[in-house]
Amino acid sequence: MIYKKAFSFIIRDFVLQTSYKFEFFLRLFFMFFSILTFYFISKLIGGAGLQYLEPYGGDYFSFVLIGIAFSGYLTAALRGFSESIRGEQMMGTLEAMLVTPTNTSTIITLSSLWSFIFTSFRVLIYLLIGAFLLGVDMSNANLVATMLILILTIICFSSIGIISASFIMILKRGDPINMLFMSTSELFGGVLFPITVLPGWLQTVSHILPITYSLSGMRHALLQGYSLHALAPDIIALAVFTVVLVPLGLLAFKYAVKKAKVDGTLIQY
Amino acid sequence: MEYSIETYDLTKKFALQKGFTDFLVHPFRKDELTAVKKVNIKIGKGELFGILGPNGAGKTTLIKLLCTLILPTEGTAYVNGYNIVGDSGKVRESIGFITTDERSFYWRLTGRQNLKFFASLHNFYSYDAQKRVDELLNIVGLINRANDKFLSYSAGMKQRMAIARGLLNDPEVVFMDEPTKGLDPGAAQNLRGFIKERIVKEQGKTVFLSTHHLGEAEQICGRIAIIDEGELRVIGSPEELKSTLDKSNPTLDDVFLHYTGKEFKEDGTPKHPYSERKRMMREGRRGMMRGGRIGGIRF
Repeated sequence: MIYKKAFSFIIRDFVLQTSYKFEFFLRLFFMFFSILTFYFISKLIGGAGLQYLEPYGGDYFSFVLIGIAFSGYLTAALRGFSESIRGEQMMGTLEAMLVTPTNTSTIITLSSLWSFIFTSFRVLIYLLIGAFLLGVDMSNANLVATMLILILTIICFSSIGIISASFIMILKRGDPINMLFMSTSELFGGVLFPITVLPGWLQTVSHILPITYSLSGMRHALLQGYSLHALAPDIIALAVFTVVLVPLGLLAFKYAVKKAKVDGTLIQY
Repeated sequence: MEYSIETYDLTKKFALQKGFTDFLVHPFRKDELTAVKKVNIKIGKGELFGILGPNGAGKTTLIKLLCTLILPTEGTAYVNGYNIVGDSGKVRESIGFITTDERSFYWRLTGRQNLKFFASLHNFYSYDAQKRVDELLNIVGLINRANDKFLSYSAGMKQRMAIARGLLNDPEVVFMDEPTKGLDPGAAQNLRGFIKERIVKEQGKTVFLSTHHLGEAEQICGRIAIIDEGELRVIGSPEELKSTLDKSNPTLDDVFLHYTGKEFKEDGTPKHPYSERKRMMREGRRGMMRGGRIGGIRF
């Protein structure tokens, strides 16, 4: 029955989100601005960084489009879980939810579903505009591999989001996980430029971030249609991160809920 | 006799947050506040039990302990036979919690959408949820306003919504935290009648109600417990409590004064005797000089 419960959360968040109509349409509208900005930057760059972009097909706009589209999942995961807790705490609805038989981790997980759905919708718009209006070639895309990498990416990022939410549950504000991943991923994760641009010692940082493997795999699968075999290094790295981060996230959250219940701070913000 | 609620030496201590100066001067000192102190109560099935005390007496903490929202420091408790720590999921399946906090709803959803969402958290979906929600909206008299947004409801309507939500899972035990708080006298009176007649007498549910209105406790509760500074001072029916005093025509005010040493104000603030007030002021001034804490207030 979990899917029925998930559906209730999605309906709730959809109605709440669309009740702020202006904000909803504004967010959609400004998506185009960000795509166009990078489109014109890529025109300016032309073939300047070709040696760095060669492994991804050589086109900067295609490279950055995948980067900004799929890095949205990391933002959704890092913000979705912790903001859903904080939002419910501030709205005053958390206590009423926690006194029901639905357990806390289910409530937090389902509360963040909407942000993943909205991110997926945004990714789709990005890819459609890129492919049909701005000439990004995805005709060779390996969709099975793309879906596999996407699923691993969402599970992996969600685990980081759950660890982040655990800190929010105890600290209320100033979550170090969110700050750490948000500030490092854009610079070291290969969102806006290939990590090979970085000096060797800085590339070491890139290799310990899951977003690096996620974006690399996505680009190879969507732009160059790599086979599952060719994508194995990225897929295996993501799988290892998933195996480590999922139990870590669940343990951290269990501990945080227990501590908040002992301290009586579950609904404080 | 079967009990709906049993507590054994139930205690809750909270660690007090340190101020910056305290943290530097006494980094390892652990200050604690005992919010609930060794509470022992047994509440039978179908009973309307009231817990009476001023603000900060420990009423809400006791309810939150029994609703599994916080964990006890010592002691244990059973609700419907389930341990509040070991079987917390089962406890939550069998209870309803009615709070006065109107912020506990989604203001931009309609009344029906709110109840359907909370019904899903109680594992009621689709037709079952619709049926249960409509049934409850009828009971609380809000069926005609069910499709209006929650933000358009009056205080009384919001409170009735809270009652409907608390009954969604047809619970055997209903916890009510100051259910008439913020209501005008007429609405409060109607609600008291509803609790006593519909919820307790007709549906046979056990109600654990916290209040700081002496009249309310006397009017609807079969038994009352007086709680002050986290400790239960006395338990009994209003008549039993009055009969313990050596005074003609005693009131619950007299009972409260006798057992707590404090007069009772209807806004929930304990009115301390003059000598006590003077002592607290004196302590407060001393506290200000030395940077201590008096009565939960940091100077």
